[in-house]
Amino acid sequence: MEVERSLGSYRGEFVKPEVLKTAVKDGLLYAIGSAAIWIALFLTIIIIRDVVLAARSTNETHRRAGIVTKGPLALALYFLGFLTATPFEHGGIQLPIFWFVMPWSAWWATGLVVYAIWSASKNLFSISDSEKTSGLVTAGISVVAAIGLIFIYHTDPGNKIKLLKGAIPLSLATIGYLLCIFVLSMIAIGWSANSAKARGWTKTIATQISLVVGSVIFGLPFLFLLITSFKEDRDMSSKTGIIWVPRVTDTIPYINPDPTKKHFTGRYNDREVEAVSIGEENGKMKMDIFRPLSVRGITYYTTRDQLTEVPVQANVYTAEVNKVPIKGFEKDSLSNGNKIISILEPESMKGQEVTVLPEKATPVRHVGLRTQNYSEAIQYLPLETANGLVYLKNTLFLVIMGVIGTILSCSIVAYSFSRMKFPGKDKLFTVLLATMMLPGAVTLLPQFLIYRTLGWVDTLYPLWVPAFFGSAFNIFLLRQFFSQIPMELEDAAKIDGCSYIKTFWNIMMPQIKPALAVIAVWTFLGAWNNFMGPLIYINSPEHMPISYALQLFKGDRDGDGEPGLLMAFTAMTVVPVVAVFFFAQKYFIEGVTLSGLGGR
Amino acid sequence: MKNTFAFLTCLLALWSTSASAQAQPATLDGKREVILWGLSLGPDTKGQDAVIREFERLHPEIKVKLLSMGAGNMDPQKLMTSIVGNVAPDAIRQDRFTISDWASRGAFRSLDDLISRDSLSDPTCPKKEQYYPAPWQEASYEGKVYAIPTQADNRLLYWNKKVFKEESANLTAAGLDPNRAPRTWSELLAYSKILTKFDKSGKLIRAGFMPNFGNAWLYMYAFQNNANFLSPDGRTCTMNTPEAREALDYIVKGYDIVGGYEKAKSFESGFQNKENDCFVLGQVAMKIDGDWILNTLGRYAPELDFEATPAPVPDDRFNHKGRFANEKDTFVTWCGGFSLAIPKGAKNTEDAWMLIKFMTSFEGRMIENKAQAAWEKMRGRVFMSKQIANIEANVTSAKLFRPASPNFAEAIDAHTQIAQSGRIRPATFAGQVLWSEHVKALEAACLKRSSSAVALQDAQIAVQRELDAFYNKGKYPVINLQIPAFLGLLALVGFIGFFVTQFARARIGKLERHEAKWAYLFVSPWVIGFLLLTIGPMVASLFFSFTQWDVLNEAHFVGFKNYQDLFGADWKSVSKSLTNVAYLTSVGVPLNLCTGLAIALLLNTASRGIRVYRTIFYMPSIVPVLASAILWTWVLTADPGKGLINSYWVETITKWLHVDPPAWLESAEWSKPALIMQGVWGAGGGMILWLAGLKGVPTSLYEASAIDGASGNRQFWSITFPQLSPIIFFNLVTGFIGAMQEFDRVYVMRPSLDGPVGPDDSLLTPAFHLFNNAFAFFKMGYASALAWLIFGLVMLVTFIQWKLKDRWVHTEVSS
Repeated sequence: MEVERSLGSYRGEFVKPEVLKTAVKDGLLYAIGSAAIWIALFLTIIIIRDVVLAARSTNETHRRAGIVTKGPLALALYFLGFLTATPFEHGGIQLPIFWFVMPWSAWWATGLVVYAIWSASKNLFSISDSEKTSGLVTAGISVVAAIGLIFIYHTDPGNKIKLLKGAIPLSLATIGYLLCIFVLSMIAIGWSANSAKARGWTKTIATQISLVVGSVIFGLPFLFLLITSFKEDRDMSSKTGIIWVPRVTDTIPYINPDPTKKHFTGRYNDREVEAVSIGEENGKMKMDIFRPLSVRGITYYTTRDQLTEVPVQANVYTAEVNKVPIKGFEKDSLSNGNKIISILEPESMKGQEVTVLPEKATPVRHVGLRTQNYSEAIQYLPLETANGLVYLKNTLFLVIMGVIGTILSCSIVAYSFSRMKFPGKDKLFTVLLATMMLPGAVTLLPQFLIYRTLGWVDTLYPLWVPAFFGSAFNIFLLRQFFSQIPMELEDAAKIDGCSYIKTFWNIMMPQIKPALAVIAVWTFLGAWNNFMGPLIYINSPEHMPISYALQLFKGDRDGDGEPGLLMAFTAMTVVPVVAVFFFAQKYFIEGVTLSGLGGR
Repeated sequence: MKNTFAFLTCLLALWSTSASAQAQPATLDGKREVILWGLSLGPDTKGQDAVIREFERLHPEIKVKLLSMGAGNMDPQKLMTSIVGNVAPDAIRQDRFTISDWASRGAFRSLDDLISRDSLSDPTCPKKEQYYPAPWQEASYEGKVYAIPTQADNRLLYWNKKVFKEESANLTAAGLDPNRAPRTWSELLAYSKILTKFDKSGKLIRAGFMPNFGNAWLYMYAFQNNANFLSPDGRTCTMNTPEAREALDYIVKGYDIVGGYEKAKSFESGFQNKENDCFVLGQVAMKIDGDWILNTLGRYAPELDFEATPAPVPDDRFNHKGRFANEKDTFVTWCGGFSLAIPKGAKNTEDAWMLIKFMTSFEGRMIENKAQAAWEKMRGRVFMSKQIANIEANVTSAKLFRPASPNFAEAIDAHTQIAQSGRIRPATFAGQVLWSEHVKALEAACLKRSSSAVALQDAQIAVQRELDAFYNKGKYPVINLQIPAFLGLLALVGFIGFFVTQFARARIGKLERHEAKWAYLFVSPWVIGFLLLTIGPMVASLFFSFTQWDVLNEAHFVGFKNYQDLFGADWKSVSKSLTNVAYLTSVGVPLNLCTGLAIALLLNTASRGIRVYRTIFYMPSIVPVLASAILWTWVLTADPGKGLINSYWVETITKWLHVDPPAWLESAEWSKPALIMQGVWGAGGGMILWLAGLKGVPTSLYEASAIDGASGNRQFWSITFPQLSPIIFFNLVTGFIGAMQEFDRVYVMRPSLDGPVGPDDSLLTPAFHLFNNAFAFFKMGYASALAWLIFGLVMLVTFIQWKLKDRWVHTEVSS
C-alpha cells in the first residue's frame, strides 16, 4: 500500500512482469541500443588511447591491428545504438541510458541467475571433472536460491519492476566542457603517476581517478556539514540547487529614534542581555530580551540608567523606486511585512524613506561565513548548562571515567587470566568468552531496575560505573597481548620479590601500552557516542552529555526553525572527535585491525 | 595520550572563551523548586510567561523551572521513564486525551484529595461546575480527577463567503441559498458539489469540502451521528456500529465529490500557508477546523470574508427525527486541548498544586490573555482569545478581548457558544491505540481498499485485543517479585560456592594458594560485574518474561502469554522488524563490505597519496553516530532545494530518466536504502580491516600464480578472496547482530518522534521495538520476552558461524 503511495513520485513507465512482451518490444530494444552506444563510446576512448600510445610504442603492428578490429566494431555498435535507441532528438545528441528498477529480492535473483549461467558455462572450458561438478553444483545452488528469491518477490504485492528510459542531452558546449575536464585530469594524474615512476600508468591513472572520485563522494557530506553551518538560514533551501558559497547580509549600525524600536544592553540575572523596551509600568521600563537566545522572550523591569543604548544592525537592501535603482538600509518593517528603507544611494536621494514590498527588496550580501551560527547555537542552550559547558563537562567526565575504568579493570582481569594460575580459570574464561556475543538488549531492562533501586536514575552513574567491571571483549584482547610477553620478565620480578600488584603495574602494564591506547580510543568513541544510555537515564539538563543534548537541540531547532544553528551544533560535536583522530590516528587504525570489527 | 589530554584541555578552554563567560546557573537561594515539563517556550509565549512570573511574584519562596523536553510535545518515553525512575517532574502539561491512559497505568496522581481539601478554603480551587463538561470529563478517569484542563479547543465549519458569492448563481440554480452555510450532511454535499471545480485535464482547482481537511477525522462525524467507539464501561470496543459505518461512508462520499481521496491528497500537497493559505485563497470553500486557526487568519488575512458556523449534522439530527428525536443538542463539536497534571512520585506536590491552581484559575487565565493581548498589540497583530476550559474565563475573555473585525468576533462567539455541546474521545487507557486504529480505518475506507465495515471491524479487533489484555490481567495470579531477587541471589551463591569448592579441593601448594588468592582478587571486578550486570539481569529478565508488569503496579504471572504474543497478537510488528533486519543485512552488509573492499583494493594498488586518501575514507566512520545521522537527515531531505542528494538527483536523473527523486526517509520504500546509504558512508572503518587483510596475503602466492599465467581477475577470485574470507564471514555475522540492535541512527533519522518508526514502521528494528515496549510503555514482561527472542536469534547466528567457520572459511594456506 505504501509502495503505491511512494510510487506516485515516479513518472517512469511501469511494467508488470506479466506484460513482459511490452518490455521486450519497448524496453529491451532500448536497453540493447543504449548498451551498444556506451560500449562504442568506451571502444572509442580505447582507440584514442591506442592511437596516442602507438606513436611511441615499440610493438606498433600489434596496436594497429587492435585499432583495425576495434574501429569497425565501434562503428557497428554506434549504428546499432542510433537505430534502436534513437538518441537524436531536437536539441542535439542524446546519450541513451536505460535502467531497471527492481526490489532487492529481484536484484538478488537476477544476479544469482546470471551467476548460475556463468558458472555453468565455465564447464565448457574446464579441464578436470572435479571442476565440472563443482561448477554445476554452484549453478544448481544459485538456481535454487534464485527461485526462493523469486518466490519472495511474488508474495509481496507491492513489488513491481520498472523500466526507466532516458537520455543525457549532449550539447556541443557540454561535450567540450567534459573533454576539457577529461584532458586536464589525465594530464594531472599522468604527471603524478609518471613522477612516481610507476609502471603501467594507465592502471595508475584509473586508480587515481577512482580514488579522487571516491574521496569527493565521501568528503562531500563533510563539506556540506561545514558549509551549511556557516550559511544564513535563507540559503538553506534554494530553487536552483545547493548553495555552496555562503554569503552574509551587509548591515550598518543605526540608532532608531522610535523609542519602542531602540535596542539596549542591560543586565538580567547578572548576565548581559540585549533587549527592546516594550512599555513602562510604575516608572520602570519593561524590557523584552531578544539575545542571548537562551533567555529570549523573557520580559523584565529595569530603570533607564541600567541600560545602554546600542545601535541596531540594520540590513542593507537594494530596490527600485520609480524605476530608479536605490540602495538603503531597513529602518523599520511594518506589520504587513513591508519594509521602510532609508536611502543611502544614489547620493541625490540620500536620507529619503520609501516603503517597499518585502519581495521587491533584495538584500545586499557578500561572500562570507556566518560565524554567529556557532555563538548563537551555544547561547540557545538552557541557562543552567552554562552555555553548553555543562554538557561538555559531563561528556568529558564520562569519557575520562570510562577510559580509566575500562583500562584498569580490563587489564588487571586480563593479567590474571593470562599470567596467573588459579583453580577454575579455564571454566571462568569460557564463561567470559560466551558473554562476548551477548546482545545488550537482554540485560537492558533489569539493569534499569537495578539502577532505579539504587536511585541512580537522572545521575551519571549508570553511564560510567559499569566500565569499572570490565568488558569481555577488551579482556580477551588484552589477554592475547599479555600472553605474548616473555615469561622471563615476570620471573625476574618474582625473584626480586615483587608483589603481584607491583609486577602487574610496573612490569606488565608498560609492555601493553599500544593495546591500551587502542582500547582508550575505543572507549573514548563509545562514551562520546553513547546515546541510548542518556536517553533512558538522564532527564535534567545539568546531567546531560553532548550526544543527548544534540538530539534535544535537533527537536527544538529542526524543520522551519533555525537549521544553521543545528548544523553549527552538530559540527561542534564532530570537531573534537576528528581532532582526537588526528592526534591518535595510529591507534584508531590499529584498533580496527585488532578488533576485526569493521566500523559501521 | 599526553597529546590527547592536552588537546582536550585546549578544547575546554576554547569552549569556555567562546561561550562568553557570563553564564551562571540560576541560583536557587534556598527557594523551593517546582519543575514543570511540556510547555513550549518561545518569543511569542508572552502570556504563559506572564502567568508563571506572576506566580513567582506572589510566592517569592518558589521557583518554577520549565523544561520543554522536545519541542512542546512531551516525549512520552521520557516522562514514563522519569516517573518509573522516581525522578518525575512536579507538574506536567499533557494532551488531555492521553490523561486516562497515564491514569490507568498509575503514572499520574489523582487530584481528588487536593480538590476536596481546598474546595472550601481556597476560592481559586478548580471545581467541576466551573468547567465545560467535556474537558472536565476528559481529564478524569474512572470517576477520579487526574488533571485540570486549560484550553478547550473545539471545531466549527469555516466557510469562505467570497467563494459562495462568486458561485451564487450556480448555487441558487441548484436551489441552495448562497448566503448561509449548509446545516445538514446532505446540504453540505450539495454545496460541495457546486463549489468544487476541476480544470480541463480533470485536476482539482477548488475543493468545495474535503471531509478530513482541517481537523475533523472520523471522530467529528461519529460524534454527530451519536456513534461511540467504546461501550460505557470501557470494556468493549464498538467501532463497527451502523452509526460509525454511516459516518465513515459519509466521509467517503464527501471525498468522491472532489474526485476521490488520492486526488484530494495531492491537491492538499500543493497548499501553502500564511498569506497564501488555501482557505484564504478560496482553494477550499469550506472546512471543519479548530479555533486555533483564527490566530493565523487574523494575522495573515484580517480582511477575509468568512463565517464560522456549527458543522453540518445528519439530516435526522437537524430535524430531531428518528434516532435523534429526543436529542438535546442539535449541533455538536469535538473538544480537545491540554491540561495540567501531577505525575506520581512528584517531589513537590504542594507547590505544584498551587501552581496548577493559579495557572487554571480565572485570574491566571486573565493574566495570561492580558499579557498576550498586549504583546500582540505591540507587534501590530490582532489578539484572538483561545477557547478556555474554565467557563467564566472563556466567556469573559471573549467579551474582553473582542476583535474589532466583526467576522472574527462572531467566529469567537460561535466557538464559545458551541463549547457547551462539546464531545470528547472516550476516556480510556487505550486512547492511543484507538486513535491510530481509527486513522488506519479512515484511510483504508477513503482509499477504497476495504469497505467501511471491514475497515472498522479490523480496527475494532485491534482495540479490543488491547482492552482484553488490560481487563483480563486480574485473571492471572499476582506474583511476588522477591522471587527473581531470591533466584538471583541463589545463582550468585552457587557461582561463588563453585569456585570456593574448586579452590578448597585443589591440591596445590602454599605458594600456588597464595597466587590463586591474588588471582581471584584481580579477576573479581569482572566476576562481580558479570554476576550483577550480566547473569543476574539475565535471570531476572527470563523471570520477567513470564509476567505482566509495568513496574508501578503489582506483577501478574502469565506463563507463556508474552511469548505467544510475540508470534501472535504482535507478530505483525515483530515480523516487520525482522524483515527490516533481513533487508538491512542482506542488502546493507554486502554493500558495506563491497565498498570497503573496493576502496581497500584501490588503495592497495595506489602508489601515492595513500595516507591522504586513507584519512578521507576513514574519517566518516569516526564521526559520532548522532552527528552523522543528523547530517544525513539533511543530505537525504526530500526537498530538492534542501537535500544534497535530491538536489543533484533532480539535475541529473530526473532530467535524463524522468524519475522524480525519492522521498528517502519519508517513504516506506526508500527509508531503508537511505539508512543503508548512511551506513555505507562509514564503510571506511571496514576498509582499514581489508587493507590489513590484503597486506597479510603472502606475495609468494601472487608470484607463483603469475608464473602459471593467471590473470588479475583470476588472482582475485582464487587468491585474494579466499584469503579474506574469514573477514567477510565475521563481518556478515556482526553486521546481522548490529542490524538487530540498530537504534541510535533510527531514533534520529525517523521522520516523526512518535507513531510508527519510519513510515509504515519501515525502520523498526528489534532493539527499537524492545526500547519502545520497555521504556515508553513499561511492558516489562513483553519486552523481556522480546529481549530473549533477540538473544536467541543472535545466539543462533553465532552458533551457525562457529559451526560453519571451518567449512566455508579459508583459514590457512594449504601446503
